Amino acid sequence: MGFSLLVLLTLQQTLDVRMDTSAAKIEELAQLPRGEYLKPALLGYHHLGADILWLQLLQVWGKKKNADNEYEWIYHALDVITTLDPRYTYAYYVGGVALTNYANRPDLSNRLLEKGHHENPGEWNLPFLLGYNYYFALGDAIKGAEYIGRAARTPGAPDFLPGLATRMHAEAGNPEVALQFLKALWKENPDLVVREKLETRAKEVMIERDLRTLEQALKQYHREKNAFPMRLRDLASDGYLSQVPEEPFGGSYLFDSETGEVRSSTHPKRLKVFRLDLEGGV
Amino acid sequence: MKVLSIAFNTFRENLRDKLLYNLLIFALLMIGSSLVLMRLTLGEFHRLILDIGLGSINFFGVLIAIFVGIGLVSKEIEKKTIYTIVSKPVARYQFLLGKYLGLSLTLVINTAIMAAGLLAVLYFQDVPIHAVLFKALGMIVLEFMVVTAVALLFSTFSSATLSAIFTLAMYVIGHLTTDLKAFGQKMEGVGRSVLEGMYYLLPNLDRFNLKGNVTHQLDVPVGDLLMIAAYGMAYTAFLLMLASVIFQRRDFR
Repeated sequence: MGFSLLVLLTLQQTLDVRMDTSAAKIEELAQLPRGEYLKPALLGYHHLGADILWLQLLQVWGKKKNADNEYEWIYHALDVITTLDPRYTYAYYVGGVALTNYANRPDLSNRLLEKGHHENPGEWNLPFLLGYNYYFALGDAIKGAEYIGRAARTPGAPDFLPGLATRMHAEAGNPEVALQFLKALWKENPDLVVREKLETRAKEVMIERDLRTLEQALKQYHREKNAFPMRLRDLASDGYLSQVPEEPFGGSYLFDSETGEVRSSTHPKRLKVFRLDLEGGV
Repeated sequence: MKVLSIAFNTFRENLRDKLLYNLLIFALLMIGSSLVLMRLTLGEFHRLILDIGLGSINFFGVLIAIFVGIGLVSKEIEKKTIYTIVSKPVARYQFLLGKYLGLSLTLVINTAIMAAGLLAVLYFQDVPIHAVLFKALGMIVLEFMVVTAVALLFSTFSSATLSAIFTLAMYVIGHLTTDLKAFGQKMEGVGRSVLEGMYYLLPNLDRFNLKGNVTHQLDVPVGDLLMIAAYGMAYTAFLLMLASVIFQRRDFR
């Protein structure tokens, strides 16, 4: 008796090692049949089916980092889950947040959220996230503002949304508006990893805001003195700025006194959504 | 009166069936397991408890309806106890009706026990309980009634094993009739009329499925509920009459 149990245990463990179960789990997601076919096969238990798939998906997702093609499968699984239960708003929302912020796949995130928005027009969360994706991840401020407006018109939407929507329409490229937006999203997301990403993004927007302030002061300085100052600190001492802003990532703002260009030491590239604005795109 | 005494006898007989207890215990274990699964999921914990709970009640109830239902008549014939009843002044339809009511009583009590388990879990997890939950449970019982009638019908003219297979098939088909209709509408001529005829003849068991409404707290208007209930009763009556006609002509050797 004891011996046979031992044999069983060894065999099971050897099989587990040989067939690497964690890899197999993700493969399972890829082989999921399309929701349209799975739904009738579940004979009315499709809500339970959606729950079980959601549980399985969470186990795969628990990994720190997933490969690129794995995100395609995760999207497929989310699509199947939301076809089985089109009103599973939580799955749309969490899937949408994760596909943008973990996977950096705003295209897939948008597809999922559009489906959710279509099926659940009463949920303000979904167009709100769509707005975020367009505004920050895809750099389309106009479309972003449009979705935020849609979210604001949904009954039950929080009070700050209508104000945000109008400001986004009026001044799509304004960093202050972007910061306000990020703060709103931060409040909605208890997930620590997502919050960390949002904070990073907010700091990037702060850099953009600071750069604009500095550029404007430099422009004024140049107009009056016909030359750029030697150091940024001179802007403050000569009364063009109250003080030189601190770089939010702990670096510093670098200044070329020949060309008058300023940039951040940690993030030399400027944010896309505002670059469009500078080029006159928005 | 005769019908009632057969019904109570059937109920007592059902209580001696070990299969019943197996399925009941399994269903209660499933409902309890949602407490463990709940810790693995993210987000809507209530949803998981409700889905697993109602799913188990539905699934195990159907299994009881099928596997106890198929034995209702065929077991009596096999054990030759049918002779003692047929020789008494009891009409055959009364015998069938009594058998049917007996198993229905068993199912109602079973559902009540499973529902009590679910309600206890919901109560201790502080899940708000809405009226639609009870409506859904009522519809589940109605589905059992139809499935039991199907099982009884098959058990009047075939063996237990075959009846089980037929009834299971009917259960599966009953949940796919909407697709049957959709296929029919894409066809022309004879095919279309055949498929549409089948759609109206076969039970549309999906009508009794309100589990999703409970998950999303969507209330169902009382008028709709009454219509569904009327449909279920009418279908059950139709099946019982058909079973009586077949049973009336049957020769026991």
